[in-house]
Amino acid sequence: MSTLAQQIVNGLVLGALIGLIALGYTMLYGIVQLINFAHGEVFMVGAFGAHFVSLRLLPADTPWYTALPVMCVTAVAVSVAVAVAVERLAYRPLRGAHKLAPLITALGVSILLQEVVRVFYPGATAPLAFPRAFPDGHLVLGPVTVLWTGVLALAVAPLLAAALHLYVERSRLGRAMRATAQDPETARLMGIDPDRVILATFVLGAALAGVGAVLYGIHYTQIDTAIGFQNGIFAFTAAVLGGIGSIRGAMLGALSIGLVKSLAGQYAWGGAQYDYVWVFALLILVLMFRPQGFLGRPERVRA
Amino acid sequence: MTLVAERLFMSFGGLLALDGVSLTVPDGGVVGLIGTNGAGKSTVLKAVSGLLRPHRGEIRLRGRPIHHLPAHAVLAAGVAHCPEGRRLFAGMTVEENLRLGGHLRRDRHVAKDMARVYDLFPVLGERRTQRAGLFSGGEQQMLAIGRALMARPALLMFDEPTMGLSPIMIRRILDTIALLRNQGTTILMVEQNALAALMLADHGYVIDLGRTTMSGPGTDLLADPRVRAAYLG
Amino acid sequence: MTSSFVRDRPVTEAPSRREPRPAWRSAPGAALVLLGALSPWASAVIPGGAYPGLATLQFFDAPYLVTGFRLHLLLLGLAALLPRASRAAGAGAAVIALVHIAFLAALGVLSFGGPVTLAGGALLIWLGRREPAPEWKLPSRALAWPILVAAFAALLWAVSAMLTAGGQSRATNPHGGAEFLSFLGFAVGLFGILSAYGVLSWLSALAERHRAFSLTVLLACAMLLPLTEAGTGYWMTVASTIGIYAATAIGLNIVVGLAGLLDLGYVAFLGIGAFTAANLAHVVSFPVAALAGAVVAGLLGVVVGAPTLRVRGDYLAIVTLAFGEIFFRAAQNDIGGLTGGANSIPGIPPITLFGQGFDQPVGGLPAGFLYYALTVLLVAGTMAVLANLKHSRTGRAWLAIREDEDVARAMGVRTGRAKILAFLVGATLAGLAGAVFAHKLGTVGYESFDFSESVTLLAAVILGGMGTVPGALVGASLLFVLPEKLREFSDYRLMLFGLALILIMRFRPKGLVSS
Ligand SMILES: Nc1ncnc2c1ncn2[C@@H]1O[C@H](COP(=O)(O)OP(=O)(O)O)[C@@H](O)[C@H]1O
Ligand SMILES: [Mg+2]
Repeated sequence: MSTLAQQIVNGLVLGALIGLIALGYTMLYGIVQLINFAHGEVFMVGAFGAHFVSLRLLPADTPWYTALPVMCVTAVAVSVAVAVAVERLAYRPLRGAHKLAPLITALGVSILLQEVVRVFYPGATAPLAFPRAFPDGHLVLGPVTVLWTGVLALAVAPLLAAALHLYVERSRLGRAMRATAQDPETARLMGIDPDRVILATFVLGAALAGVGAVLYGIHYTQIDTAIGFQNGIFAFTAAVLGGIGSIRGAMLGALSIGLVKSLAGQYAWGGAQYDYVWVFALLILVLMFRPQGFLGRPERVRA
Repeated sequence: MTLVAERLFMSFGGLLALDGVSLTVPDGGVVGLIGTNGAGKSTVLKAVSGLLRPHRGEIRLRGRPIHHLPAHAVLAAGVAHCPEGRRLFAGMTVEENLRLGGHLRRDRHVAKDMARVYDLFPVLGERRTQRAGLFSGGEQQMLAIGRALMARPALLMFDEPTMGLSPIMIRRILDTIALLRNQGTTILMVEQNALAALMLADHGYVIDLGRTTMSGPGTDLLADPRVRAAYLG
Repeated sequence: MTSSFVRDRPVTEAPSRREPRPAWRSAPGAALVLLGALSPWASAVIPGGAYPGLATLQFFDAPYLVTGFRLHLLLLGLAALLPRASRAAGAGAAVIALVHIAFLAALGVLSFGGPVTLAGGALLIWLGRREPAPEWKLPSRALAWPILVAAFAALLWAVSAMLTAGGQSRATNPHGGAEFLSFLGFAVGLFGILSAYGVLSWLSALAERHRAFSLTVLLACAMLLPLTEAGTGYWMTVASTIGIYAATAIGLNIVVGLAGLLDLGYVAFLGIGAFTAANLAHVVSFPVAALAGAVVAGLLGVVVGAPTLRVRGDYLAIVTLAFGEIFFRAAQNDIGGLTGGANSIPGIPPITLFGQGFDQPVGGLPAGFLYYALTVLLVAGTMAVLANLKHSRTGRAWLAIREDEDVARAMGVRTGRAKILAFLVGATLAGLAGAVFAHKLGTVGYESFDFSESVTLLAAVILGGMGTVPGALVGASLLFVLPEKLREFSDYRLMLFGLALILIMRFRPKGLVSS
C-alpha cells in the first residue's frame, strides 16, 4: 500500500515536469501541425544554461533563494534564444514545403542540438551533477515521502499551465493563436501575421520548458544531453494523450504518463528496466486508437 | 479611386484562373462582380486581399501598390475581405470573432464599433457570449459582415454573401449591404446571384474564364440581353 | 488533414526573367582559383611530413610539379571558364579551400593559397550562371552500350579513388582526413559540372532505358573493385560493411522514399535479422538463417506497418520511433535470452560455402573478398527490387500515396495494402542484410541498433535523394565512408548528420543525386 502511494507520487512529479514540456508541443502542433522534435532539446539546453550560470557565474555560497531565480531566468533565456533561432533558421524557410521536410528538419535540429551540447559543453559527455538550488529534505505524508523539489514541481507546473491557459484565453495574442490554429487563412484576413504567432508560440513553449528544465535538474539532481529527447517523446505522447492542442489535456496527459511509467516500473512485467517500453506501448495504442486524445477534438488549440 | 486592379494573371499549376482581369472601384461606390461558378471571382478577391499573389499585374489601394503585401498587411492597408462560406471561428464566441475582426485596431473606438455591429444585428448582441458555430447560416453571415466591419476598412469585399441562405435571410443581408452603401462604404461584391448584385451595384463586371467580358453601370448590364440570357436565366 | 507547415502559402511569383549573364563574369573567379592553385599553401613546413604534396613555401623550388589537390584546383579553375560549369567548379574549389584552411589552421599554420582560392570559389558561385541543364537526345543501342560501359568504368575509378583517397590509417598518413575531404570537394565539383551540362541526367536516362544491361555492367564493375587500388583486405572489409548498410538504406528508401512513410525505427529490422541469424547460426546453414532473418523481420514489419492503416504522417513517424525504442530496450535487456543483452551474442561463425570460409582469401584475391562479393549481390538485389517496384503498379500506388493519400484512395488505390506492403518489403530487405551483418561481424549486440543508426540510415536516404534508385547507395556510401575516413572527427559524426539533414531539407530537398 505504501509502495503504491509512493509510486503514485513519484509518477505525478515526473508527470508534472513532463507536462511543462508537453505544453510547448501541444501549442505548436495545434498551430502548425509540426512535431517539433527539437522542443525536447530546447528543454535540455535550458538545463545546461542553468547549470552553467550556477557553477561558473554564481559564487559558490549563493543562497538557494537567489540561485534558483537566477537559474530559472537563465534557463528561460537560453531556451527561448535557441527556440527562436531554430524557428527562424530552420523552420521558417520551409513553410509550404512538402510535409516530410519540416519533420525531418526537426529531427536534424534535435540531433544537432544534442550533439553540440555533448561535444562542446565541458563534461557533458557524461551525466553532470545539477546544483542543489533548493532545500534538501522531504515532506512526509503518512507513508509517503516527497522531496521538497518534488513538491515544488507539483505546485509550479499546474500553476504555469493555468497561467498559460488564461493567457491563451484572454490575451490578444492568445486569441490570435487560437484563430490561427482554427483557420490559418481566415486568421490572416483578420490581420494576424502567422509568422509572429508561430514565433510567439515557440517563445512561450520554450519559456515553460526552461522553467521545467530547472525544476527537473534540482529534483533528479543530474542532467545529461539525452534528457531532452527522452522526455520530449514522453511529452509529445502526453500532448496526444490529452488531445493535441489542449492545454489542460497536455497537463493531464503528462500526469498520466508519469503514473504509467512509475507504476509499470514497479508492478508490470519486466520491472523498472521495461518502464519505458510500457510508455511507448501506450503511445502506440493511443496514436492508433484515440489520436484525438482523451479530451476530444483533434488538432485545435483550445484553452 | 479606392481600388485599381490592372491585368491580373494567376494560374494554379498550369491552369489559368485569372487571364488579365482589370477592374476599378471608385470611392464610395459599390461594384458587383458576376460570373459563373469557377469563373475566377473568388480568385480576384483573394488576389486583392493578399491570400494569393498574382503572377503578374498590379493592385493599388488609393494609389498605393498592395499586390506584394501579405494578407495581414493588406488588411492593415484598409481592405477587409469577407470570405466565401463565411469562415467564422466556430469555436469562439460572437464577441471574440468581432474582436478578431478588429485585431489590428489600437484606437479607443473598438467598443463603440462593436456596439454599432450589435445595433446593426441585434441578434448578435443578444447572443454575444455564444459560440459562433451554433448559429444559423444567416446569423453567421451577419457575424461575418460585422467582423469585417470591425476593421473599419477603406474597402469592404464580400464573396457570395447570400450563398446558401433562405430568401428572407438573403433579403436581410442585401438590405444590410444597401444600408452600408448608403452610409458611404466602398464595396466590392462577388455574387452568383447576378440580379441581386447588379441591383445593388453602381457598376458591374462580368467575368468569364478569368477575363472581364463585359462591364458597365449595373442597370445597363441588367438590361443587356447577353447578360440576361447567361446569368439571369 | 494534411500537415504541411502552414497550409495556405500564397502561390509564389513565377520566376522573373533574368538577363543572361555574360561568360566573362566567371573569369575573375577562375583566375583567383588558378592563382590559388599555384600559390604556397602553408607558411611553414608542417609537422608529420610534407602536407599534401608541395604545400609549403618550398613549393617555389619546384614550380612545374602540380599534383594532388593543386591539380584538382587547376582542373576546376580551367573548367570554371566554361559558362555552365562555373558555379559547380566554384563550389568544388571552395570546399577544397575550406578543408585545407581548416586543417592548416588546426596545425597552427597560415595559408595563402587557401583564402585566395576560397575567394575565387565564392566569386564563381556568386557570379556564375544558374540555368536549367540542357537535355540531350539518347543515342542508339550500338552507341549506348559502350557509353554505359565507359561511364561505369569511370564510376569504378571514382569509387576506388574515393575509397583510397587519404590512405588507410592515420599511422601511415597523418593528413589523410584532409586529403580525403579535399578529394570529396573535387568530386563534388566534377559531378556538379557534369550535372550542369545535363550529362548525369542523360546518363541516368540512358541507364534507365537499358536497365538490365546497366545492372549487369554495374555488377561486373563492382566485382572488379578488388583489382583496383582498393583491393586490400582492409578496403574489402570497409566496402562490405558499407554494402550492408547501403542495402538496408535501400530498403528504407522503399518505405520513406517511394511510399512517403517516415520510419524512424527502421534499424530495428536490421537488428531483428541479425539476432535471428545469430541465434540460428550454430543450428542451420547460412542461407536458411538468412531466410529466417528476412522472414522474421518481414513479419515484424507487417506488425509495425499495421498502425499505418489508422495513423497518418507525422503520427506514424512517432509510432515507428516508439517501435524502434521498444526493440532497443528489449534487446538491451536480453529479452527471452535472445539478444545477449549487454554481453552481445559472440562467436557467430563466418559463412562457409563448399568448405570455403568467407573470411579467408580465395586465390589471389584479398581476404574479405567473398563477403564483399556477397554484399555486392545483396545491394544489387535490393536495387533491382527497388527499381522494379518503382515502376510497377505497386510503385505507382506508393507514389500516389506519397503525394496525397486521400487523392490516392479516391483514385482507387488500395492504400492500406500498399502501405503494409512497403513495410513488409523494406523490413524483409533489412532482415536479410542483418543476417549477413551478423555473420560478417561474428558478434551482434544491441548497441548497433540504436536510434542514431536509424537516423544515419534516414540521412543516407535523404542525402542520396528520396525514391531514387542509386540515391540510397550513394548516401550510405558517403555516410559510412566518412566516419571511416575521419576517425578524428568521430565525435562530430552525428552532429554533422543533424546539420546535413537540416541543410538538405533547406537547400536541396530532393537530395544530391536527383538533378
Ligand atoms: N487553390 C486552388 N488550386 C487549384 N485551382 C484553383 C484553386 N482555387 C481556384 N482554382 C481554380 O481557379 C478557377 C477559378 O476559381 P474561383 O475563383 O474560385 O471561381 P469562382 O468564380 O467560382 O469564385 C477555377 O477553375 C478553380 O478550379
Ligand atoms: Mg467563388
